[in-house]
Amino acid sequence: MALDLSVITDNIPLFLEGAWMTLRIAAAAFVAGMAIGTLAAVASLSGIAPLRWLVAGYIAIMRGIPFIVLLFLIHYGLPAAGIRNPALVNGIAALSLFAGAYYTEIIRACVRALPKGQWESARAIGMSPFAAARIVIVPQILAPMVPPVVNCTMTMIKESSVISSITVAELTFSGLVVQGNTFAPFEVFIAVALLYWLICGLFATAARAFESRLAGTRRNRGLTPLVGRYLILEGRRT
Amino acid sequence: MIPPALRATNLTRSFGQTRALDEVYFEIPKGEVVSLVGPSGCGKSTLLRTLLWLDPPDEGFVEVGGQYLGRERIGAVVRNQTRRQIDRIRPRIGMVYQSLNLWPHLTARENVERPQRVVASKSAAQARATADGLFERLQIGGLAGRRPSELSGGQKQRVAIARALAMEPEIMLFDEPTSALDPELVGEVLALLRDFAATGMTMMVVTHELAFARDVASRLMFMDRGRIVADGPPARVISDRSNPRVAEFFDRVTAFHPAFRAEPIPKETTP
Amino acid sequence: MKFDLSLVLAALPRVSDAALVNLRIAILALCLALLGGTALTVLRSLKIPSVNRVIAVLLSFIRGTPILIQIFLVYYGLPAATGLRLAPEVAGIAAIAINSSFFISEIMRGSLPEIEGGQIEASTALGLPPSVIWRKVILPQLFRKISPMLINEGTVVVKGTALLSVITVVEALRVSQQIGAAKFRPFEPIVAAALMFLTINLALMALGWALERRFAREIR
Repeated sequence: MALDLSVITDNIPLFLEGAWMTLRIAAAAFVAGMAIGTLAAVASLSGIAPLRWLVAGYIAIMRGIPFIVLLFLIHYGLPAAGIRNPALVNGIAALSLFAGAYYTEIIRACVRALPKGQWESARAIGMSPFAAARIVIVPQILAPMVPPVVNCTMTMIKESSVISSITVAELTFSGLVVQGNTFAPFEVFIAVALLYWLICGLFATAARAFESRLAGTRRNRGLTPLVGRYLILEGRRT
Repeated sequence: MIPPALRATNLTRSFGQTRALDEVYFEIPKGEVVSLVGPSGCGKSTLLRTLLWLDPPDEGFVEVGGQYLGRERIGAVVRNQTRRQIDRIRPRIGMVYQSLNLWPHLTARENVERPQRVVASKSAAQARATADGLFERLQIGGLAGRRPSELSGGQKQRVAIARALAMEPEIMLFDEPTSALDPELVGEVLALLRDFAATGMTMMVVTHELAFARDVASRLMFMDRGRIVADGPPARVISDRSNPRVAEFFDRVTAFHPAFRAEPIPKETTP
Repeated sequence: MKFDLSLVLAALPRVSDAALVNLRIAILALCLALLGGTALTVLRSLKIPSVNRVIAVLLSFIRGTPILIQIFLVYYGLPAATGLRLAPEVAGIAAIAINSSFFISEIMRGSLPEIEGGQIEASTALGLPPSVIWRKVILPQLFRKISPMLINEGTVVVKGTALLSVITVVEALRVSQQIGAAKFRPFEPIVAAALMFLTINLALMALGWALERRFAREIR
């Protein structure tokens, strides 16, 4: 058979709109997921046992159930609880919870890889927990965090395709719409796949540039291999 | 009456069945130099962590310059301090860790200036002046812009000392200041501590350097199994045969330090 | 509306039956992926430049695109492009197995340098043919070493089977959706499906931890 490229060229605006929506969803889930991850990591490291168990349960559930099931749990569960959100909001909420679990593990592993004395010396000299985190801990974990965060964020961008199943008009949904109009699934899904590929590739390149800048200014690359020992979970090792 | 620089009252801490600290009492007046000696595992490290309230004791009190740290007693009421109260009093104890714990992502200068800025709320100019003065005094004036990884062991230690001194503490705690250093630097550090002592700085030094304990410190506390079992002028504690654990420790250690051999004590004092 | 636990319990028997489909698909896909991943690893170790370039592009494509799209490509795209129409379950198994093959190959390649060392040279010097070296020397050690990571990959595969509900495979998630549609209560049956996936994956993770602990002990 011959590839019918007109299927693609005629629908470029639709694909681009979908890709733009995917990017926005991923950006929102990244920000919200990082917020969840930071809070959960702090809770887990706080030394308060019930909080630690709570975070362990959260991570086990997020790892244990498929993202599509999490998405449906939220999409059908929230209305059942009387909370009616647009599908987009539910999709972002599910994706944030999903990514948040991975970010929690990463942040926690990076903090644990630091010598305990770093935190203690900051606290002992009179810094508040917040000041100790801001001045001593955070600057030291940023560079080692980048590679695993890039990994998990790419997984998250890919998982966002599942949000099409609750009729959010992102990239995969655009593909399904175009396929329904043209009956040319091969061309359509290749085009969609290439767009995802492009997004992931651009993101990875940007992240690498950011990492080498961080590593250049901070000079603490020695920590990065250590982090792996504390990372029980990092999505899929790539 | 001037309150003591540091006072420990009934510090007790158990880990399961073992007592890491067992009713520890002591008082260190301003200007005194105390060495804390004891076999490894005797509770010295726990004591230092407890004095900073990093590892709160099950019982007991710590007072720094007359102020409670961590737990306070007002009349008959005992209550734990809030986190903010603890943070406010902690910088009054200056701690130099065995592993130094400098912050590797900051320069030597930033290591000394940042705590002054965020904890003591000093202005940038004040913090800088203090740091410069201390670096000058500790003879590392030209190294302020370097990161810890670019400094030698002895230089790093001076930065760690400067970081603690910059908070103008009531008392300086040193955790085995010579143990992580190359042998040829040990004398240098001991000379530095001697200089500090001459300026009237209050210090408590955990050490295995018996030369320091004997010649610089005015008082020696000997710790064993979580208790302070001997406390007094170094020469007396070292030569006292009444506590077998203390005697055994110094016999073993002095075998390797001939210069340190205590004067034989008259026979009649031992039964 | 209140959460009704009895609806979850009512859905459980049918959903757990359907979860056996997920398990079957996952096991088949994982077995195929182990074969595929091993084949890819051996192929890459031959260091044929053109072959490795093709594999690198495919790997990047598989890693850079959602598995859902890969499933669509096999189920919808393949018949359109080649006329080869696969049953939903077969298409799903194929897509997951291909995807997982590349990830498993990456896992294997990551651990290969740690065990290989001079063993290939040593075995070659003994006159052993390469196929025997791989079968008897390298692969047994390699699989042992990566088994905790393979278990993690197993959980990823199990989770991937839920996506096949989208291409009409009657597995746990789809059955729970059907029950939900019939009773106009979509939420509780989904909870039942979530519990099934959680049970399978927690069991797998527990196995992984046990393996890691055992290996950690043996290394010491």
